[in-house]
Amino acid sequence: MIDINATLVAQMLNFLILVVILRLVAYKPIVRMLKEREDRIAGSIKKADDDAAEAEAVLNDYKAQLATARTKAQAIMDKAEKRARDEHTAKLQETNVEINQLKEAAQQQIQRERSQAVEQLKGQMVALSMAAAHKIVSKNMDAAENEALISEFIDQLDKDKIGDLPC
Amino acid sequence: MHEIGVRETVQFAGLTFNWETLVMTWITMAIVVLIAFLASRSLKLVPTGAQNVVEMLIVWLREQVQNNLGPRGDFLTPLIVTLFLFLVISNWLGLVPQMVSPTNDLNTTLGLALLMVLIVHVLGIYMKGMHYIKHFFQPVAPFVVINAIEEVAKPITLSFRLFGNIMAGEILIIILLKLVPIWMPIPSVIWLAFSIFIGGVQAFIFTSLSLAYLANAVKESEE
Repeated sequence: MIDINATLVAQMLNFLILVVILRLVAYKPIVRMLKEREDRIAGSIKKADDDAAEAEAVLNDYKAQLATARTKAQAIMDKAEKRARDEHTAKLQETNVEINQLKEAAQQQIQRERSQAVEQLKGQMVALSMAAAHKIVSKNMDAAENEALISEFIDQLDKDKIGDLPC
Repeated sequence: MHEIGVRETVQFAGLTFNWETLVMTWITMAIVVLIAFLASRSLKLVPTGAQNVVEMLIVWLREQVQNNLGPRGDFLTPLIVTLFLFLVISNWLGLVPQMVSPTNDLNTTLGLALLMVLIVHVLGIYMKGMHYIKHFFQPVAPFVVINAIEEVAKPITLSFRLFGNIMAGEILIIILLKLVPIWMPIPSVIWLAFSIFIGGVQAFIFTSLSLAYLANAVKESEE
């Protein structure tokens, strides 16, 4: 049952041949493929990490841009508001000035018209005085009569005085 | 009828060969190569079918090699993978009717064990030089006797363990078939299932012990 013979050497050779064949047929390609897979997985993980980092960077960039845009928009709005307020104030002032000018012009006109009226009245008064004087002279009366006439004349004047302008 | 322990021999160039063992070895080799070929025929990054199984085996044995030998022993992985595959298929081949295991012949197991021990010593001297030879005289010179006995015992225990297990398994299958009537197959089936388990375990033991011996020669001493 236990007889050692040349089979022993043959089995050693057989085994060594098998090692060589397996190494060529299976072991090398499989190990190469395992390495490839390892690299691929490592690459995928790295790529995923990179992508995530990049996405975060882009997000941060967008956030920053959004914040800047918001600030800018606020600034523009503030500026527009300020300009509107300034314009409003300027218009108001202008209108005030115009109103004052108009008021002044009106007052001047009123003044002018009044002085004109006074002038006119004065002229009429002179004419009336002349007429009264003529009447007096033509009647040739005494002093008392003269006085009475004049006062009567003035009374009459007072009675139908024009408006309530002070004479 | 197959007679236990009697082997057909052939004479070739003045040498005696156990013909049946050789044929069974070649069948085993053919099966192993076929499995390897099927598994690596169309390698894909996402594995399927046979590729999965062989890949798992290679990854597992590679891990064993790296744990035992360190990164320097990586070139021995094909040897270990082949050894395990060859032994498993050999041990299981004997469970197929009309077949016998190549490992039920001491020539096979002793051949493999001697080959392993030879590789261990050659690698040890190649990789460690005088340091390797010196370790046989540790801790003191007279210990060389004990160390020598240990070195001789290694291939003997390795080969006889495997040979005995497989031989006994096959003998018991024949005996069970003779003892138990054919309508009562349960004992044979149980023993067959157990033999499948034993075949795997013995292959693994042989492989891991070889690895342990190799570690002695290859692994750096400071590790």
